[in-house]
Amino acid sequence: MTEWLGVFFILFGMFFFVFGVLGLIRFPDVYMRIHASGKVSILGIVGVLIGAAFLLPDATPKVIMLIIFLVITQPAASHAVASAAYRSGVEMHNAIRDDLKGNVPVHDWRVDELIDEIKESP
Amino acid sequence: MTEIVIQGSLLILVGLLVVCAWRVIVGPSPADRLQGVDTSTSVLLGIIVLLSLIQGNSNLLDVALALAAFGFVGTVAIARYLSEGRMF
Repeated sequence: MTEWLGVFFILFGMFFFVFGVLGLIRFPDVYMRIHASGKVSILGIVGVLIGAAFLLPDATPKVIMLIIFLVITQPAASHAVASAAYRSGVEMHNAIRDDLKGNVPVHDWRVDELIDEIKESP
Repeated sequence: MTEIVIQGSLLILVGLLVVCAWRVIVGPSPADRLQGVDTSTSVLLGIIVLLSLIQGNSNLLDVALALAAFGFVGTVAIARYLSEGRMF
C-alpha cells in the first residue's frame, strides 16, 4: 500500500516536472515562464520528495526538512527572478497596461552597452 | 513496477535537464538564462532524490539539502546583480 502511494506521488511530481519544463520552452515571455517554472520548483520537487518518504521510510526527517526549506525559499527565488527581469528592462509580451512603469527604477543593460560603444567610438 | 517508475522518471529528468540547458543557451535576455539555471537546479534536486531511492539509503538527501541552499543563494545573488548592478 505504501509502495503504491509512493509511486503515485512520484508520478504526480513527474507530471508537474514535465509540463513545467514544457512551459519553460513554449511561453513567449519571462513573466509567463515564471508561472511554469514555479510549478516545477514547488509541486514537482515536493511530489517526488513525498514519494521518496513513502518508499524509503528512513529518509522521512530529511525529507520533511527539505520540504520546509523549499517551501520557504523557492517562491522567494521566483519572485527575485521576476523582479530582476523587470528591473533589467525585459519587456512584457502583448501588455496593454503596466502599473510599475515609472515607479520602479529600470536599468536597461542593452542601452548601457550602446552608450559605451558610442563613447568609445572616436 | 516501482523500479521501472523510478528509472523511467530518472531518464525523463535527464532529458528535462537538456531542455533547461537549451533555455540557458538560447534565452535572449540575462533574466531568461537565470530562470533556466534556477529550473535546472530544481530538476537536479529531483535527480538526486531519485538516485537516493535507487541506492536505497538516505545519505544523498544531505547533498540535496546543500544543493537547495546554494541554489537559492546563487539565484538571489544573480537576480540582485541584474536588478541593481551589484551583489552585496
